[in-house]
Amino acid sequence: MTATIEAQTPPRTYPTQAHRPRRNRANVWLTLLLVLASVFTIVPFVAVLVLAVSPESAPTIPRQLPDDVTLDNLTAVLSASSFLRWTLNSVLYSVVSVVIILLTAAMAGYAFARKRFPGSTALMWSFLATLMVPIQATLIPMFVLVSRLDGVNTFWGLIVPTLANSQAVFLMRQFIRELPDELFDAAKIDGAGEWTVFWRLVLPLTKPVLATLGIFVFLWHWNDFLWPLVIAQTDEMRTLTVGLSTLNAESVARARIMASAAISVVPCLIIFGVLQRYLVNSVATTGLKG
Amino acid sequence: MTVQRAAVQRASWRQRARDPGWGLLFVLPMLVLFVIFRFVPSLGAVGMSLTDYRLSGDFSFVGADNYVRLFEDDLFFHSLRVTLLYAAICVPLALVVALGTATLLHHVVRGQSVFRGLLFLPYVTSFVMAGIIWTWIYESDGLINGLLEKLGVGPVPFLTGNQAMVLASLAVVSVWKSFGYSMLILVAGLKNIPEDIVEAAKLDGAGPCSRFWRITIPLLRPVIFFVLVIETIAAFQVFDTIYVMTGGGPARASYGLVYMLYDQGFKFFDFGYAATVGVVLFLVVFLISLVQRYVLDREKT
Repeated sequence: MTATIEAQTPPRTYPTQAHRPRRNRANVWLTLLLVLASVFTIVPFVAVLVLAVSPESAPTIPRQLPDDVTLDNLTAVLSASSFLRWTLNSVLYSVVSVVIILLTAAMAGYAFARKRFPGSTALMWSFLATLMVPIQATLIPMFVLVSRLDGVNTFWGLIVPTLANSQAVFLMRQFIRELPDELFDAAKIDGAGEWTVFWRLVLPLTKPVLATLGIFVFLWHWNDFLWPLVIAQTDEMRTLTVGLSTLNAESVARARIMASAAISVVPCLIIFGVLQRYLVNSVATTGLKG
Repeated sequence: MTVQRAAVQRASWRQRARDPGWGLLFVLPMLVLFVIFRFVPSLGAVGMSLTDYRLSGDFSFVGADNYVRLFEDDLFFHSLRVTLLYAAICVPLALVVALGTATLLHHVVRGQSVFRGLLFLPYVTSFVMAGIIWTWIYESDGLINGLLEKLGVGPVPFLTGNQAMVLASLAVVSVWKSFGYSMLILVAGLKNIPEDIVEAAKLDGAGPCSRFWRITIPLLRPVIFFVLVIETIAAFQVFDTIYVMTGGGPARASYGLVYMLYDQGFKFFDFGYAATVGVVLFLVVFLISLVQRYVLDREKT
């Protein structure tokens, strides 16, 4: 949104005639450097794409551009049963996590923001304190716990331990606290029960922040690696990231690996394409970090 | 009247009694998740580090044996050194790239949102995908060496050379994938610098360079420290790219702390020892963020 505003308003300072050429030259340099930086970020994506459509074992980049373009690699990957299975697992892992985290974090955030109950402050702080413990530091006890509960190679073992998300709770609490008190008073006077207030008032009013949070939670889970790596030990439980790393470790043809990588990144690119402004603006305002 | 008062009393009593119950009820699902999957494992890590827990689930209490073993283990100090060296390369690199691009974005007249999008794009991918594509970029017949060949320069062993080169190559991948986040934080920080201070400096004849070093950097200091903290913590947790690209090699040149934890846990199934590495990892990260916090607070006053 900031970007649109900036695009519409004229530049704040009007350079005098004498300054203009120098300013323009400076701007050309700035643009050139930004183009260079963008080449650094974009070239790997282009390379994946070129390799994914290059015929197997035919000469390709960096020596030359491929003579032929083929979709064989992509179709072969898409018709391989394990790849589809990994994709399905990643979808389940991400989507189920998004739904449950949004719901439970909104509930907890609502309670922390609007309800007084014994120990609520201490509880909020203890939730936040877990942010200081890197997930890797508790990897071993988490794994032992889940394996003792027979959760290895199961969906619940994959999903449930990743749902305790303090960033989500804290963000929801901050947002719900800012909502005007009058709304809640009015609902109470109208005789709305607690559940009605939550479903009819809190959830609709927090839609923008739920959307932002949803995008981030989806990306975290879609791109997550270490937890799925230790929990999904059979081929059919692997997520896309884990599956890709095994393809990379086995000597699968390069074109095939690149085609898999290209397909795996598509959902993220779609999210990025559609919600770019949203995503980019929310980094600074919400402070969510993967 | 008595009836009325009784009704009011009952209502207010119910109101008060109802609130704590509902508050707890709304927190309950998340609370259960936190207790089981955050609090218990956090304490469990410390508990397990005092045992010789094995894959079978059998264990006995061994006191501080694991810690003694850790501090006599050359591999541990090696992996700690690897992680420190990696962070020493990665954090400044990330900061320079993020600050550089943020400054460029802040000053460029046209196309700001397009460039911002292009630079942020890698952030939405996974480290696994980044690792796979950069492995090829670094290979002897990969993108960079292919281009160098055309210039007649021999292949550079990015992932097979000496330790500094391997760690730097891995750091570049991390920076590629995630500098966009820090960049956006810094762009927001730059926007908050009051325009009139910059204008006043301009009128006083300060050039772009001295404006950058004497106005932008000092005013941006809190934001820069925040970026340093998150980048340092991220650098200490590096695992995915190492696992995908080097497997800790060559000859353990990239065998960092988290990789050691994974290796001890899931290759040797020495869970007690691996948990000990986890506790130490936590302490190291905690210590570093305390130091950074302290420096930041001192800067403020």
